[in-house]
Amino acid sequence: MQRIRWQLLVLVLVVLLLLAFPFYVAQPFLQRTMILVVMWSVLGLAWNILGGYAGQVSFGHAIFFGLGAYTSTYLFTEWGISPWLGMFVGAGVAVLVSIVIGWPSFRLVGHYFAIATIAAGEIFAVIFRNWKAVGGAVGIYLPIIRGDRLIDYQFQEFKAGYYYIILAMLALIVLVTYRLERTRMGYYLKAIREDSEAARSLGINITRYKLYAMMISAAFTAIVGTFYAQFVLYISPNTVFALAISIQMALVAILGGTGTLLGPIIGAAVLIPMAEYTRVYLAGRAGGLHLVVYGLLIMLISVYQPAGLMGIYREWQHKRAARGMVNDSLPVATAEGGADDAVA
Amino acid sequence: MLRLTRVLLILVLAGLVLAGCVAPQPAAPAAPAPAEQPAAEEAQAPAAPEEIVIGAIYPLSGALAATGVDLKNAVELATDIINNEYDLNLPLAKSAGLPNLGGAKIKLVFGDHEADPEKGAAEAERLITTENVTALVGSYNSAVTATASQVAEREGVPFLNPESTSPTLTERGFQWFFRTTPYDKLFAENFFEFLDEMKAKGYDVSGVAILNENTLWGTDVATLENEFAQQYGYEVVANIPYEAKASDVSSEVQKLKAAGEDVALLQASYVSDAILYMQTYKQLDYAPTAIIAMDAGFVASEFVQTLGDDANYILSREVWALDLAESKPIIKAVNDMYKERYGTNMNGNSARAFTGMLTLADAINRAGSTDPAAIQQALLETDIPADQIIMPWKGIKFDPETHQNVLGSGIIVQIQDGEYKTVWPFDLASAEIVWPFPKWSER
Repeated sequence: MQRIRWQLLVLVLVVLLLLAFPFYVAQPFLQRTMILVVMWSVLGLAWNILGGYAGQVSFGHAIFFGLGAYTSTYLFTEWGISPWLGMFVGAGVAVLVSIVIGWPSFRLVGHYFAIATIAAGEIFAVIFRNWKAVGGAVGIYLPIIRGDRLIDYQFQEFKAGYYYIILAMLALIVLVTYRLERTRMGYYLKAIREDSEAARSLGINITRYKLYAMMISAAFTAIVGTFYAQFVLYISPNTVFALAISIQMALVAILGGTGTLLGPIIGAAVLIPMAEYTRVYLAGRAGGLHLVVYGLLIMLISVYQPAGLMGIYREWQHKRAARGMVNDSLPVATAEGGADDAVA
Repeated sequence: MLRLTRVLLILVLAGLVLAGCVAPQPAAPAAPAPAEQPAAEEAQAPAAPEEIVIGAIYPLSGALAATGVDLKNAVELATDIINNEYDLNLPLAKSAGLPNLGGAKIKLVFGDHEADPEKGAAEAERLITTENVTALVGSYNSAVTATASQVAEREGVPFLNPESTSPTLTERGFQWFFRTTPYDKLFAENFFEFLDEMKAKGYDVSGVAILNENTLWGTDVATLENEFAQQYGYEVVANIPYEAKASDVSSEVQKLKAAGEDVALLQASYVSDAILYMQTYKQLDYAPTAIIAMDAGFVASEFVQTLGDDANYILSREVWALDLAESKPIIKAVNDMYKERYGTNMNGNSARAFTGMLTLADAINRAGSTDPAAIQQALLETDIPADQIIMPWKGIKFDPETHQNVLGSGIIVQIQDGEYKTVWPFDLASAEIVWPFPKWSER
């Protein structure tokens, strides 16, 4: 009881700190970095639903990101439809495409699924590069709209506007993931990840639940795609359908710890500032050295703690528990318990 | 599953590290020179005049790192020429610093965009808000220039773009964006100006044939060429788009042959298809009056290496060539300085970045202050004559609406004995043009 109250206090404090962030940090570059951290947290969490909980490693999520960006931008620039509406249309398109891609490729297991997603991602990049109606390889420029009105989904002076939008998305996906961990579907997904044959023998329709996971994952990725388009105001196949986006999404989740609620957020909070700051401080002076440093740091973490940063945290907790300082564990470690519930 | 994840992760990491390793090598020799420069200056003049900080945003790492290093070297060399006294006929070369600002020196701050539009915008924002730059130059990739200049537009900071050629950039109606390089549309028009000038010399063609690969780039080029053909009064006898990955092009070449050989063939191809076409031309004995290429495959190093003598007499558009030095001695003087410091010759990219930096500094000097509006006004009044630039242009003067340099122009080079020689504009030519394209049996 005591512990729950303590956790609630921390939660409220964190939420307040996040909400107040633009007021105590005025520097635009820091604000921008923070927006990126939150953006990649959402993307990491979206990837995590399929790649973490359901254990289906995808390297093609840029498809949904790009579809979200392109759908809302096309609707806005061609037909004047608000990006707020376009965002949900984009999510719908991404869900449909996720079914089309997921249905055949979920028959593939392990490596083969990952390879299929890479191929699918490249196919989309090629299609959009050659599709003249949506700007081909040149891409689409979004018009600059001044005035900083929420309805325009564009903020020129008041950068914090973007921050609050993406923060709201983070809150939404955290809630969805939190619920997912505690519902039947969450347990099904974990069961599929741990042993899909056993899960099947227990009567779980694996393809259907993998598809559900992919649909949720795709919808969130597409929504962030729209956000990216509104934030950067220029999209092209080489940037929004890039393999680099798919990899970064996976990287954030894997480095932080897959199949956990906090993992992808921690992953983004570590990776993004690291990438930004190594670039700023090293790139102008020593060419690609920052990429070497960035790569080495990721390697160190993955070699010494393959379960990601969450793994380090848990290990530390176990040690404390062993010393008798803590007598219960955080609700994040529910994989084993989950499997039991799925049986019932 | 976890094992797979781990293996893939390690692969990705290896990729990242490799990508990182490409860049430092060329950067290393460049580093010492500029690092010593400012230190020496500060020591000499303790009561140093104010510094003018200019941000340069270039792809310093990642896939385009090699190009980024060329560009960085070029703006550093330009800055050195501005900050110190040199006996060169270039803007601000003969004085130390900017005379109208009490000899203030230019200080460069670099931003790396890794060819990513989002990072380009981030760097622009950082340079403007935390480094307090007076103006920005960059960013090579058209896509990055697009987003970085958006930030500058919002913040009201002049942005000078020396080397992106996408037509869209100057069609956005931006107030703070200026472009010195000619862009794709101008290059297509150059072909017809060239044909007109050849006609004036008595070398006429009955029309043009257009052959292009069918993705965005080739299609856009063909569209522009069709427009200009009409405008300049040339009949288009054939218009053939093709698949760049085709392994046999004899039917396309037969069609060209049937359309008549007394024409100029305007071709837009990537490298492997350009080579395949040349081999097929020879095989089917197709020799139009001239083959004029939209650079790309025809200026790639494999082109001459693979075809040898069969590559000769091809004409191609270019932005710059080292042999321009024969008619413009200033090019040789600057290239010698560049080569001494960085160990390589200048190329079209570094020459344009160098010119952009000088143009910007010239405007800041004339503005006489770091006030953005004054610099914007001075940029609009820019009028640099042809003999003060290392480019084959008629000068630098910005259109008051689009802020595109209206005096820019490309050049046409011809492969002669395996080397690219400037043949047009005629007053800058380093070699006499071979015209018409010789029959295959006669070479």
